[in-house]
Amino acid sequence: MNLDRIRKEIDRVDTRLLNLLNERMALVLEARRYKDQAEDPKREKALFGLLEERATRLVDKAFIGKIFEAIVSKSKALQDTDHRLVGFQGKHGAYSELAARAWDPETVPIPTTSFEDVFEGVESGLFDYGVVPVENTLGGSVDQVNRLLIRSDLRIVGAVELPVHLCLLALPETDHREIRAAYSHPKALAQCRLFLHRNRIEPIHFSDTAGAAKMLAEERPRGAAAVASKACARLYRLEILKENIEDLDRNVTRFVVLSRQTQDLEGHKCSVVFSTEHKAGTLYRVLEIFAGQGINLTRIESIPASPGEYAFFLDFLGSTEEDKVRSALEQARKVTSRFRLMGCYKEVRAS
Amino acid sequence: MEKLRLATCNGGEGKRTVIPVGDVRIGEDFVVIAGPCSVESEAQTLRTATAVKAAGAHMLRGGAFKPRTSPYDFQGLGLQGLKILEKAKRLTGLPVVTEVTDPRDVSWVCEYADVLQIGTRNMQNYSLLKETGKVRTPVLLKRGMYSTLKEWLHCAEYILAEGNPNVILCERGIRTFETHNRNTLDLGIVPSVKEISHLPIVVDPSHGTGRLSIIEPMCLAALAAGADGILIEVHCNPQEALCDRDQAMPPDMFQSLMEKLFHLQRAMTQVERGHIPSSREAPVAIH
Repeated sequence: MNLDRIRKEIDRVDTRLLNLLNERMALVLEARRYKDQAEDPKREKALFGLLEERATRLVDKAFIGKIFEAIVSKSKALQDTDHRLVGFQGKHGAYSELAARAWDPETVPIPTTSFEDVFEGVESGLFDYGVVPVENTLGGSVDQVNRLLIRSDLRIVGAVELPVHLCLLALPETDHREIRAAYSHPKALAQCRLFLHRNRIEPIHFSDTAGAAKMLAEERPRGAAAVASKACARLYRLEILKENIEDLDRNVTRFVVLSRQTQDLEGHKCSVVFSTEHKAGTLYRVLEIFAGQGINLTRIESIPASPGEYAFFLDFLGSTEEDKVRSALEQARKVTSRFRLMGCYKEVRAS
Repeated sequence: MEKLRLATCNGGEGKRTVIPVGDVRIGEDFVVIAGPCSVESEAQTLRTATAVKAAGAHMLRGGAFKPRTSPYDFQGLGLQGLKILEKAKRLTGLPVVTEVTDPRDVSWVCEYADVLQIGTRNMQNYSLLKETGKVRTPVLLKRGMYSTLKEWLHCAEYILAEGNPNVILCERGIRTFETHNRNTLDLGIVPSVKEISHLPIVVDPSHGTGRLSIIEPMCLAALAAGADGILIEVHCNPQEALCDRDQAMPPDMFQSLMEKLFHLQRAMTQVERGHIPSSREAPVAIH
């Protein structure tokens, strides 16, 4: 150990302290959804009691008291202001979080572990919105999300097209020559397969891109890297060994924003999901209606919903304010066994 | 020469190798590759890159991994230097030529550079040669400072034999009994290479002479001798250069060299076509 190395360790600890504080504040905002008011003296007393038990010679009671007074007072202040929470799957720095920020920078993104958590969180009122990926130019449709969309009653209130630029991230002291493996979500690894192959790096599956970056920073495995966003480099103090490692330039993921709200906002795009009877020409009849009205379809996808039944996703350009759209929707409802307008919304393209 | 199956013309009138890089075709166009000896900082590299681009250079050179005579000399910025070169390329559009010294770096340097350079000290580093033979990125192979043409071509053969057909030779001066200049630039090798090999050859008068005042005449001579291009060290502020200060050319001098090269190139085209400039303009012989 020398001073330089000790200082680097201190920097690492500080980064983690800040990330943990962020995590705490997000939890505080979630907790507010279950409380009538921010103030809770009983809980506060219990908390301080619990913390003081952990006092050590270096971190004594007085010091703990000072720090947590500041933390608790900030927590209460946050609970007293109105925040709109957006649930996303993954850790901070995930592409879903970047999409949420692109859609509305004023919202507070909250990480969850699964897509189910995002849907349930929005349904229960824990989150105001949820942001989930539906399709990617290289990887195709995100099955798990689309399956949840079939059954959900949530509305789509926005969409984001996010260009996905992957970075190879490593611990700052790692020699690039020693990198043997890269951790990331299988979809991200697939998008830079040629790059990894050229540089003889073995892809290792991880639950999500940002999670892989976080794991790298915390567990510091030898000879390892992570494939994740540029934002993760800053967040977890990692070095970008190479930017834009995706094999194709046009790598775009499309996200939708979910909400409980029922009224349609002004929009230029609509999404519907429907099923038809198992008979010849039923899908054609639906498409014919949209073609007849001169409506431009932007996506059509079929997903097996239950044995023998397919759910069809249809996106098109247009607004429910337009007569031709309203008429098409009305006609389509009549020739399908199940039909739901998921939403009429604005789609933004993030830079 | 019988073992030089791929590097020589083998007596036949085979096609000459032409290597497209960015907007230029090495082996067909006269290519000027200019830039600092080493990437010292982002500001220095971007300033120099902008200056050489403005003067009309076709490609940017700059070292990130520097094999130096002394281990205490500046060793280069490594991967950080490659990132700076990538930025300079984005800014100017100039393709990047940079040296690779370690076989483990080859794939990484390929991610950033358009042409890999193998330096004079590494000309016979066979594991490095083989590794660069496995990629398709063009390789600029400098002549070893003690090497004969035959030895040099055998090194090119190593790269070609591994499957990379894109080899550019670079004459950079050799060690002789003459010590007035840093090296003795062997321009005679240029037409010799042209006679027996199909590979393009460029000349590096910066290292070949090591002396700023004679770089320009040697650049012009290289063009006249039939070289396919020149590699030249330009620094936006030569006094502050961390390496090879005495041979770093300031941008204004480079600009004037580019103009002379342009005129000489036109004159050479005429001469090669048999159009001798009219007698009134031709210099009068003094008896």
